[in-house]
Amino acid sequence: MIDCHGVMKRLWEYVDGELDPEEARAIAEHLSMCARCHPQYEFQLAFLASIVEAHGRRPAPRPEFASRLRAALAEVDPAALS
Amino acid sequence: MSDPHSAPSTGSFEREALVHLDAVYRFARSLAAEDAAAEDLAQDTLLLALRSWHQFRAGTDCRAWLFTICRNRWRRVGAREARVEATEDADLESLASAAVQAGLADVDPTGRFYDAPELMDVVRRELDALPPEYREAVVMADIEDLSYETIAATLGVPRGTVKSRLFRGRRLLQEKLVAYAQDAGLLPRAKEGR
Repeated sequence: MIDCHGVMKRLWEYVDGELDPEEARAIAEHLSMCARCHPQYEFQLAFLASIVEAHGRRPAPRPEFASRLRAALAEVDPAALS
Repeated sequence: MSDPHSAPSTGSFEREALVHLDAVYRFARSLAAEDAAAEDLAQDTLLLALRSWHQFRAGTDCRAWLFTICRNRWRRVGAREARVEATEDADLESLASAAVQAGLADVDPTGRFYDAPELMDVVRRELDALPPEYREAVVMADIEDLSYETIAATLGVPRGTVKSRLFRGRRLLQEKLVAYAQDAGLLPRAKEGR
């Protein structure tokens, strides 16, 4: 049986899907029942979602960059661009 | 029967490597401070990848291979060396991150403030401001969704180092975002003495 301290030590690995199934199941069970740890889990998910959201708004490379790159690649090996 | 890990022909470069252009640019942008420098780095990466295409093994993770080239190029061109860091304990970093939330348990236990639209520019800015070794771990795990094992192979470090860098990077970023949100009035300050 994992306790709150044990869950906190493994929470990032649980969120990242890096734990073995047995440990992940134990943490999921704990989170479903623990009023202290479940908000932690939601907090970390909200944080990670903000990174993904913010990065999605990062300007993409300029269109002319792709053209410049393709021209440079074609000089090295035209067959690379099918 | 053909070897699934044999060297590919350059004809496959576009569908195997060039499809990752946006990801390579994003990764380059996480290393370089400016858009123009990121474009140059991304271009150098793909040119080097094409010249080394015979070394890529079909069936392996091409995006991770490109990140490795990108990172090595960045280090070489800028003569940047990875900073020697104290070995951090990933468990301690996890607990430190939990403490960030615990400090807000009375005011925003589930992190609703992270949804604030005005926070998005700050997230980007503070991510860019992280020390490079933490930033690249956060970008690879949280934006590019790479596994610890793939990141470890890309960076040439043990899995435990990936965890400690990633968790520390996340915690540093969280602390910056909480401080900004409190200063901007997005998040009430926790009561003193609790």
